[in-house]
Amino acid sequence: MKTLVTLLLLFLALAARAAEPVDILVQGAEKLEVEDLVASLGPKPEKLAIGPFSFWVGRIGPHRVAISLTGQALIDCTAATVIAIEEFHPRLIVYQGTSGAQAPYLSLHDIIVGRRSIDYGNMITPVRGAGAGSDALAWTPVPQQLRDPATGQLVAYPHGFAGDAAALDVALRTRNPMGRVFAGVIGSAHEVNLELDRVRWSRETFGMDVEEMESAHVAAIAHAFGIRYISFRVVSDAPYEGVPFYPLAARATGLFTINFLHNLPPLSTH
Amino acid sequence: MFFNTLFRPIFAAALLLLAAIPGVIGAPPESVDLLFVAASDAALQPLVQRLSEPQTERIATWTLWTGKIAGKSVVLARSEGDPLNAVAATTLAIRHHPPRLIFIFGTARAHDPSLHAGDAVVSASFVAFDGIESPRAEIGEGSHPLNWGVLPHLLMTPGEKEVAVDSFPADAIARELALALKPPHGRIVAGVLGSAYQTNREADRVAWIREHFHTSCEDTESAHVAGCAALLGVPAIGVRVIDGTEADAAALALQFAEAWK
Repeated sequence: MKTLVTLLLLFLALAARAAEPVDILVQGAEKLEVEDLVASLGPKPEKLAIGPFSFWVGRIGPHRVAISLTGQALIDCTAATVIAIEEFHPRLIVYQGTSGAQAPYLSLHDIIVGRRSIDYGNMITPVRGAGAGSDALAWTPVPQQLRDPATGQLVAYPHGFAGDAAALDVALRTRNPMGRVFAGVIGSAHEVNLELDRVRWSRETFGMDVEEMESAHVAAIAHAFGIRYISFRVVSDAPYEGVPFYPLAARATGLFTINFLHNLPPLSTH
Repeated sequence: MFFNTLFRPIFAAALLLLAAIPGVIGAPPESVDLLFVAASDAALQPLVQRLSEPQTERIATWTLWTGKIAGKSVVLARSEGDPLNAVAATTLAIRHHPPRLIFIFGTARAHDPSLHAGDAVVSASFVAFDGIESPRAEIGEGSHPLNWGVLPHLLMTPGEKEVAVDSFPADAIARELALALKPPHGRIVAGVLGSAYQTNREADRVAWIREHFHTSCEDTESAHVAGCAALLGVPAIGVRVIDGTEADAAALALQFAEAWK
């Protein structure tokens, strides 16, 4: 009987600890970037702590969502995304937050919806001897690779990873309460670039509209798992205009994401 | 008896039913003694060939190999030689087979001019040197990497607090054990394993990286695996052979598997 009770308790414990699947995983790197989203779940949303990461679960519009605070940059966001995919089995991932403008047409609070997201920090330098200096504008980019499970071969993604077309359409019809909305290219690396010649080089080389630290990494993980993906990035600093980092711009992308989730029809189960 | 005849079938059926529902119950994590992480098949194959009771698991695009080497339960993960795949594969390995220790191995290029081809560097610590912040410069003023500043990595911790770190730790006991390994062609020394998805061949930039990050050598993912290990609370150790072969590095991994208690 003792064994029976133990096993039933184990059974209940296993059932209780399992996370329910969600329709959409919504991620942000910093507290300011998820604050309005968490608040939109109501006064006491369900909260789960998994390892170092926190998730808040509830409904926004017609969707069951998990909101994830990933932390900054590749290590945090990659681990957080893998864990969230295994725990919540989302059908769409939305990464949203702040970014630095890489194109002169962008101003504070404008939002770029990721037509594609690309990792721009990988490179090979030419050979230069001691005293010959270092020239970042002469470095050769190295694309992110993923192994194709069907062929077993590594495949390079020199143009990054495309945003989900249906989500992109809805996002471009969604209101940004604080600025304009454009489709564009989001570049990710653990870098803050304020040299305008390098900013211009990044735009010419990769087509980047904004730079930040997570979207392309999460896009790669979503691609590997075959999960739809879209990213929204609000301009929080604009080096061409001399606008320094303004963290409260994060509110624009949070509110925009809430509007997007209300506009997005329920996701098909197929 | 009562359990066997009545509840065991119900219990088993209920578990199967729950297991069939995505996200409810996955396979229970099976802990192992060692997780070995290396970039390529060339580095991993000597270990795969030594596995007894070998099994292969594929999760999305990543592969884990499990079994026993020298009586220790092990899991092998292929990092693909870049930070993203390395962190993803490491996270999956830790979740599916929680290890007592992560052993990261492979080859590297020297930053420390006293290192020679064939020397093996054991991690005193790991540093990801891909974090930079450039000072503001106007159009026409160029780009000057030797004037850039360091952007530290942040690790998330429970309670939604991010902690800035200059480096990631190496396990002290494993480090002592690793320093007793016998490289096929050189010395074994302690040093700082630096990582970025970069190949740096500008002598002045290598000197700049060494000055700012204190690197002994560079590879493309050791520090990111160690960062992931720190994030998820698993001890890690790394060994990199300077301008060596993957077979040289694998030989050291196998020596470590024999020596690890």
